[in-house]
Amino acid sequence: MDKQTLLNGKKILCIEDELFIGELYSRALTKAGYDVTVELDGQKGLELAQTDQFDIILLDLMIPTITGIDVLRQLRDKSKTPELKAKIIITTNLEQRDEVKADIEKQADGYIVKANITPRELAEFLNSID
Amino acid sequence: MDQLQQFIRRGKFYTYTLLVLGNISLIGIWWIASELLNLDILIIVGILVAGALLVPLLIVHLVSTIFIQPLKFIWQAVLYIAPETSSVSAPELHNIKYARELVTNLVNHVYQLADVGKQVAETATEQANDLSANFIANSLPIPLIVLDKNENILFANNTFLEYIGTKKEDTTGQNVYSRLDLSFESNDTLDSWLNEIKEKSVTASRSWERVKLTLPGEGIPQSKLLDLVAYYNKENPAGYETMLILFDRTKAYSQDDQAISFVALAVHELRTPLTMLRGYIEALDDELDGKVNEELSGFLQKTTASAGQLATFVNNILNVAQVEDDQMVLKLKEEKWQDVLPATLKDLGLRASVRGITIKANVSTDLPPVGLDRVCMYEVISNLIDNAIKYSGQGKEIIVSSQLTKDGLVETTVQDNGVGIPESAIPHIFDKFYRDHHNRSQIGGTGLGLFLCKTFIKAHGGNIWVQSKEGEGSTFGFTLVPYKNLAEDLKTNNNEGITTNAHGWIKNHSLYRR
Repeated sequence: MDKQTLLNGKKILCIEDELFIGELYSRALTKAGYDVTVELDGQKGLELAQTDQFDIILLDLMIPTITGIDVLRQLRDKSKTPELKAKIIITTNLEQRDEVKADIEKQADGYIVKANITPRELAEFLNSID
Repeated sequence: MDQLQQFIRRGKFYTYTLLVLGNISLIGIWWIASELLNLDILIIVGILVAGALLVPLLIVHLVSTIFIQPLKFIWQAVLYIAPETSSVSAPELHNIKYARELVTNLVNHVYQLADVGKQVAETATEQANDLSANFIANSLPIPLIVLDKNENILFANNTFLEYIGTKKEDTTGQNVYSRLDLSFESNDTLDSWLNEIKEKSVTASRSWERVKLTLPGEGIPQSKLLDLVAYYNKENPAGYETMLILFDRTKAYSQDDQAISFVALAVHELRTPLTMLRGYIEALDDELDGKVNEELSGFLQKTTASAGQLATFVNNILNVAQVEDDQMVLKLKEEKWQDVLPATLKDLGLRASVRGITIKANVSTDLPPVGLDRVCMYEVISNLIDNAIKYSGQGKEIIVSSQLTKDGLVETTVQDNGVGIPESAIPHIFDKFYRDHHNRSQIGGTGLGLFLCKTFIKAHGGNIWVQSKEGEGSTFGFTLVPYKNLAEDLKTNNNEGITTNAHGWIKNHSLYRR
């Protein structure tokens, strides 16, 4: 780890099945001072998220075992998950239909198309929403 | 009844009087004949027998006249109103000699009864017609509703109730706009049409294609796509002013949506490596910063710019597919153009600088907030800048200016000093897949960028144009509308922005007006 890296004390859970993207995000966000955990699997990601130890959750929609939309719904369903302190940001390259998008907008705190943003820009964006 | 009893009493009285008078006259005849004239007994008997025969005949004749004449009048009245003897004329009541009041009353009763009968028959026919109309409307496998002059639902057939999933009692009497959340492709909505024709037409009909119906419900809103037909008749006696027929086309129209899901998947597959490419280029740039020579760092910048261009292109493909399938939804928010434009240009600066081109921005600071969708406007600016770079030729400068027009619109121009556009190509320059023939072989492109620019600017309520001369460069310009004007136009006061789409779907905004 770089010597100059200053931890900002914020924990990020990145639920992302694409190894390279996970690696890139982990690198850029760690550099920006975040404590990053990358999880490749949807179900495991959901269980980790429910522990409520994260400040930000980056959630891909196309992930194995359980889709990102279902993870989102379960995280926002008060009968399944107590209210989380984390902000949930959808990170995806899949374009959604209107209805799904509207549903996501109601439940998530942000929506990012990964191809339109570099890891450094993602870090800047996350800094700005704090 | 009094009149009848009076009539009977009077009849009896006349009869008895006549009988008494008859008998007295017989006795009188006998007395005159025997005492005064001293006639022979046989002659007297003969006269008495003749009198006894004649007097009752006279009495019977008089009595029957009294009783039969009224009967005749009533009989004539009955025949008069009977449909099969229409040639019989009405009895002339002033000719009645006996029991005038009773007969007049009875005849009037007959007339009244006939009238009631006629009314009953008419009502029955009407009801039968209503029943059959109801039956037809309800058996019709097409959703149908009828509205009164206030656009309240008077009637909804069973198919309609099933179609929108509601009950009759929740529909009848309700305002149509509260029951039907319709979105139209243009400003020409059902609501605006009705308002217009109500003022100037007695009857009119109209149809709309691809109307979106949003159904109320929990969770994800369900929607249907349909063709709508309206028939208006101001003078319908029953007050059935407007009839709406819905033709469900959800299946046909959403077959196009299958196509978009393919495009969406293809775009996803393109974006994934693109994300990594951009990520690793950035990581390399990060790691090598200050450690490599100028040439290598130039290579990195060019790779970064190219990846950015690729991202724009991938978005173009997706956007065109979405525009074509009415899937593109724009969220116009109140934004400061003097902030958004420079930020976008800064982002795109690298693409110009790697080609030795500088972007000069000249943005007025005194602009009203405009209504815009940041994502879409980013695409507009990046397409215009990419074009300006592509067709710059020897020109090394792109000038972007923004100012307020005298009409109160925010106008932005992108000017290059490049190869320009031939006059013949200018009218088609914003058409989809159109590419200038002269440049086709020398400069690549898909002919999607300007089509999208036009589509997005139109969806923002603005205009786009081009001024160009071959060899002298081109200026593309577009206008954006102040948010305040947009909000006023749509009569919406919410702060959540305005939803529109690339074809400009407008909510049937009576919803907001009520």
